[in-house]
Amino acid sequence: MIEVKSLSGGYQKEDILKDINLTIEEGDFFALIGPNGSGKTTLLRLMTGALEPSQGSIYVSGKPIQSYSSRKKAQIMAVLAQSSHVEFDFSVEEIVMLGRYPHQKGLIKHISRRDKEVVSEVMKKTEVYHYRNKPFKWLSGGEKQRVLMAKALAQEPRILFLDEPTNHLDVKHTVDMLQHLKEHQKNRQMTIVAILHDLNTAALFADNFAALHQGRLMKKGDLSVLKNETLLQKVYEVDIKHHSHPTLAKPQMLVAPEGMHHRKLSTLKAEVEQSEQYIHIAYPRPLRVLSNAVVGGGLQWLSHFCNFHVPKNYDCQDPAADVLEWLEEANIPAGDTLGMMTAVKLADQAFVRETIMDTPVFTVVTAGVGNAVDITENHPAEEEWQVGTINIMVFLDAHLTDGAFVNAVQSATEAKTKALADMQVTDPATGSMATGTSTDSIAIAATQHGESTPYAGSGTKVGKAIGQSVYRAVTEAIENYRQRMNG
Amino acid sequence: MVNSFTQKFLVNKIFWIYVISGGFVLGTALLGLFVSSVSFPMTAVLDVLSSKLFGTPIFGHEAAGNIDVIIWEIRFPRVLLALFVGASLSIAGASFQGLLRNPLADPYTIGVSSGAALGAVSVLYFQLSIAFLGSYTLPVVAILGGFITMIIVFVITRISSRELNIETIILAGIIISAFIGAIISLIIALSDREDMRQILYWLMGNIGMRGWSHVQLIVPFFIVGVILLLSRTHDLNAFALGEESAGHLGVNVQGGKVLILVGASLLTGASVAVSGSIGFVGLVIPHFVRLITGPDHKHVLPLSMLTGGGFLVLADLISRSIIAPKELPIGVITALIGAPIFAVLLVRERMKKG
Repeated sequence: MIEVKSLSGGYQKEDILKDINLTIEEGDFFALIGPNGSGKTTLLRLMTGALEPSQGSIYVSGKPIQSYSSRKKAQIMAVLAQSSHVEFDFSVEEIVMLGRYPHQKGLIKHISRRDKEVVSEVMKKTEVYHYRNKPFKWLSGGEKQRVLMAKALAQEPRILFLDEPTNHLDVKHTVDMLQHLKEHQKNRQMTIVAILHDLNTAALFADNFAALHQGRLMKKGDLSVLKNETLLQKVYEVDIKHHSHPTLAKPQMLVAPEGMHHRKLSTLKAEVEQSEQYIHIAYPRPLRVLSNAVVGGGLQWLSHFCNFHVPKNYDCQDPAADVLEWLEEANIPAGDTLGMMTAVKLADQAFVRETIMDTPVFTVVTAGVGNAVDITENHPAEEEWQVGTINIMVFLDAHLTDGAFVNAVQSATEAKTKALADMQVTDPATGSMATGTSTDSIAIAATQHGESTPYAGSGTKVGKAIGQSVYRAVTEAIENYRQRMNG
Repeated sequence: MVNSFTQKFLVNKIFWIYVISGGFVLGTALLGLFVSSVSFPMTAVLDVLSSKLFGTPIFGHEAAGNIDVIIWEIRFPRVLLALFVGASLSIAGASFQGLLRNPLADPYTIGVSSGAALGAVSVLYFQLSIAFLGSYTLPVVAILGGFITMIIVFVITRISSRELNIETIILAGIIISAFIGAIISLIIALSDREDMRQILYWLMGNIGMRGWSHVQLIVPFFIVGVILLLSRTHDLNAFALGEESAGHLGVNVQGGKVLILVGASLLTGASVAVSGSIGFVGLVIPHFVRLITGPDHKHVLPLSMLTGGGFLVLADLISRSIIAPKELPIGVITALIGAPIFAVLLVRERMKKG
C-alpha cells in the first residue's frame, strides 16, 4: 500500500505538485491521468524516491519511503521510465539481467541459476527473447520499451511504476503488455502505478484513477472518474465525451474538438434513385442513424440508405453478405450505407416529404401486411412465410441525443401501430389487430444540426412530426400494397 | 543444448581473452627487458630477475656487475612503471567512460590529467615537501590537482547544461586544460633554463630514468585505486541506463559515483606524478577491449588494465628505440597512435546521432 500525505514537491525551488493526498491499495492497477505538465511524472518520481518532496510524506507498506535502503527499495519496487538511452553495445539479455541486481548478494554479484530463469522467463513473456543477443541500442523504440519492461519485471517487484509504458508500442504490443501486466497484478498481487496518456487504454486496464491538473489532484476514484465529462473537460481543456465499449463494461473516451460543426442540410432534398431492385437515398454528408437494418445497424453515421427487393423464396442464410454484394454491384460505398431488404414490390413504396411543426421530415416506407402479427398474442408454431414486411426510414432536420433516438423509434412505432389499426390490418392467425409484421425494420436518421433535443416522444414537436409523417407514409404504403394485391 | 553450448563458448572465449592479455603483458615486459642499445643473452636477463626475486639464477650465469645494474636498476623499474602507468590510465579511462556513459571520456579529455600536471609541476618548481608525506608529496598533490580540476569541470558543465552532457564536459575540459597549460607555461618561463628543459620533457610524458623510487610512488595509489574501481564494476553496468535508472536498481548512486571518481582520480593523478601527461591510453585501450569482450565492465576494467599496461611497455620500447640513441617522450608515441583513433571515434559517434 502506498500512502501519499499532503505532498508537495518539484524541481529547484518551485513546487510543481501541491498538497497531494492519495492512497493506492495493494494489488491495485492505478492510473495517473492528466495533460502534459500536470505533474504526473513528478508525482511518480516523488513516489519512487527519485525526487525529494518539499513537504508531506510518502509511506510504502506503512514505512516512510526514506527509511528504505536503495537496495531494499529496489527489491520491492521497479520503475519503467521514459528515457532509454544506453551507451555501449549492451545486449538485450545484459540489460534485462540488470533487473536482478537488487537480488544479487555480496561484492562480486554472482549470477545464480534463479537469476537466469527469471530473466529468460520475462524475456519470453515480453517477446524479446528472440533478439536477446542483439545490442540494445540497435532496437526500435517499441522493442526497447519491451526490453525495459522485461528488466523491470526481472526485479520481481511488488510495486511497479510505469511512466508511459505504451509509448512507441503498436496496438498489438500495447494490448499484450498491459494484459501481461494485468496477469501479474492478479496472480502476484502486484501493485501497478502507471502514467497513461491514452484514456481508452487506461479505461480498459486500470482499476482506479487520479486526475491531475496543474499540480493538483482534481479527482480520484474508479471508472466514474473517466465518465465525468465535466471533470475531463476541466482537466484537459477539451470536450471529451464517453460512450460504452461495444463488448466490455468499460467506458471509452472520444474527443469532440470545437469548430467541427455539421453543415446545414435539408433532409427533404435527398437524392433518390429507384429501380426494381432497390431504392437508394443519398445525402451529401452523413446523418446520425439508429437502426436495426441488416447492414449499418446500431448507432452510426451514414450517408446512403438502401432498401433492396428480394424474391419471395429468398434464401436468407446470410442476408448481410448478400446486401454487401448487392451494394458492390450497384457501386454504393458499403461502409457508408444502411441496407434493408423486403420482398414487397418497391413500386408500392410511399414517400412523405413535409415540414410538420417546424421540423422537416422525409419518410420512406415499403409495406406488405402478409405477415402481420399481433405482438400480444402467442403464435402457433412456424407458419408459411408470406410476403409482407414494413420498412420505415425517417430523415429529420433535428439534433437528437442518443436517448432522443430511442424516443424517436418509440414515436415512429406508435404511429405505425396506429396506422395498422386504422387500416384494419389483422393477425391472420388470431384475427386480432396486428401491431406490426414479423420482420419490420426501422431507421431514424437526423442531420444533428443546431441545438440538440433530449426527447423525441409524443410530447415534443419532433416526436409529433415523426409520428404524423410515419402514420401518413405507412397508410399510403399499405393502400398501395392493397390496391396492387386486389387489382 | 544450444544455449548452454553458447554459454560455455562465451565463458571459454572470455577465459582465452584473459590468457592472451596476460601473455601480452608478460611478452611485452620481457621484450622491454631485452631490447635496448646494449643487448644481453635472454637467459642472462632471466637469471638476473630470478636471482633478485627468488635468490637463485635459473640458468646459472655468473652475475656480472653491469648487467645486474642495467637490468635490475634501470630496465626492470622502467618496465614496471610503464605497466603501472598504462594499467592505471586505462582502467581510469574505462571507468570514466562507464560512469559518464560516453566512450569519448578519458582522464586527458576531461581535464584531470592537466590538473594533476599542474599539481606536479608546482611541487617540482617550488620544491614542495609536505612534512609527513615526504616524497609522496608529489603524487598526493598531483592527485589533488586532478581531483579539483575534475570538480571544476563538472561544475562548469552542470551550470551550462543541466545534465552532465559529455560534449560539454570535453569542452570544459579543454578550456580548463588550456588555462592550466598557460599557468604551467608561466611557471616554466619564470624558472631558470636547466629546470625548464627538465619540466618540459617531463610534461610530454616520460618514464625513462625514473628508477625504483617512482615505482614506489605509484604502487600504493595503484592498489587502492584499482580495488576501488574493480569493486564498482556492477554499479558501472547499472549506470548504463542512466543514474536515475541505476538508483531504481538499488545502486547507491551518489556513493558509487564518488567512489568511482575518487578511484579514477587517484590512478590518474599518481600516473601523471610519476610519468607526466601521457594522453590517449585511457581512451583507446578501453575502446579496443570493448570491441572484443563487449561492454560488461566486469571484464572491461581488468582487461583494460592488462592491455593498457602491455601497450605502454610497447610504446616505451618504441619511444626509446626508434631514434636511438636518443629517446622520444612516450607521450609522443601514444598521441601519434591515439589522436587519429580519437578522431575516428568522434566522427562515428557524431554520425550515429545524425
